[in-house]
Amino acid sequence: MVKNITIFTTNTCAYCQMVKKYLGAKGHTYEEVNLDEHPHRQAEATRLSGAMTTPVTIVTREDDSQEVIVGYNLAKLAPAVA
Amino acid sequence: MADTTTEIPKHDVIIVGAGPAALTAAIYTTREDIETLLFERGVVGGLAAVTDKIDNYPGFPDGVEGLTLAQDLQKQAERFGAVIELGEITAIHDEGEYKRIESTSGDMHARAVLIATGSDYKKIGVPGEQEFYARGVHYCATCDGAFYREKKLVVVGGGNSAVQEAIFLTRFASHIDLLVRSTIKASDVLQQELQEYVDKGKITIHLNTTTDLIEGEDKFVTKVTGTKDGKKIEFDVDGVFVFVGLEPNSEFVKNSAVLLDEIGFVTTNQDLMTAIPGVFACGDIRSGATMQIASAAGEGATAALKIREYLEGRAHPIQN
Repeated sequence: MVKNITIFTTNTCAYCQMVKKYLGAKGHTYEEVNLDEHPHRQAEATRLSGAMTTPVTIVTREDDSQEVIVGYNLAKLAPAVA
Repeated sequence: MADTTTEIPKHDVIIVGAGPAALTAAIYTTREDIETLLFERGVVGGLAAVTDKIDNYPGFPDGVEGLTLAQDLQKQAERFGAVIELGEITAIHDEGEYKRIESTSGDMHARAVLIATGSDYKKIGVPGEQEFYARGVHYCATCDGAFYREKKLVVVGGGNSAVQEAIFLTRFASHIDLLVRSTIKASDVLQQELQEYVDKGKITIHLNTTTDLIEGEDKFVTKVTGTKDGKKIEFDVDGVFVFVGLEPNSEFVKNSAVLLDEIGFVTTNQDLMTAIPGVFACGDIRSGATMQIASAAGEGATAALKIREYLEGRAHPIQN
């Protein structure tokens, strides 16, 4: 079971829109961290993902285990939030 | 052989892709009450959606953000009843009246199929490019540019995309070295804009410069090495953005009867029909396409009209 979802995004990132659209269509709520508005959190996104890119989606489960999905990757995102 | 047409979902038209060509075609087919399902494995709007600003699409005197254009095209297509499914088509089989489509959502049948999968940015194929992907090597400025505030970048390429995205990246980066293998091929308007950033000291252009090697430390890029006039040239930078042309998204038809040109783009006749009757192609994926969003939209409209003729039994003989 999914406990919460956080997405790191930027204003101009089309793939971020796709992740949000997919999660919305599946009925998931999420916290969005917009890195254009909160640039001080870029290091956090990079530390969690190991990459300098958006979107980064952090799926936290009820047992507090986390899955990090880098980019718009339905093959990983879909099962992570199923 | 079993009649599988009774076992799997049937559609009038399946469009593979959801970029400007695909969405325009869907606007036309759905307005004619032709049921249309689009499949998109990446981003709706395609490369247009990840382009910062589009200045040469008609009807937008001040230009339009690529993401905005993509979202508006999607809304317009959906308003008439187009359905966009997020998933991937993996194969097309010619079974006569109906084409069988293999997808991540299972098999489907369609009376007509439109291939509008477009293209993706090409890799340069140098050491370090794959190793540092997303950790200093990028192909999407609008996605990843924000990570390079007050950092130094290399942008590789000399076409419209490279120049446009280099200009976009100046809003973040402290300085950009633009590495151009030969000469700048971007439009005159873009070149004039580029010159403004050169004059401000934000961009330095290196013509006749190849990109040979990408290196890094602690998993992130620190240096790019190239060759200019036969001499090695090094750039101490934090990231590299690559825009060196396009490659077709045609992998999924390689084992089908659809014919491809020597580069991998789909060949069609004058009616935009491929070697499989009822399977059409338009936009950037089509051999001979001009790789312009306006052209893609125009081809999408043409393809939709030709599909209607085909569905009504009025299609011209195939002349590949």
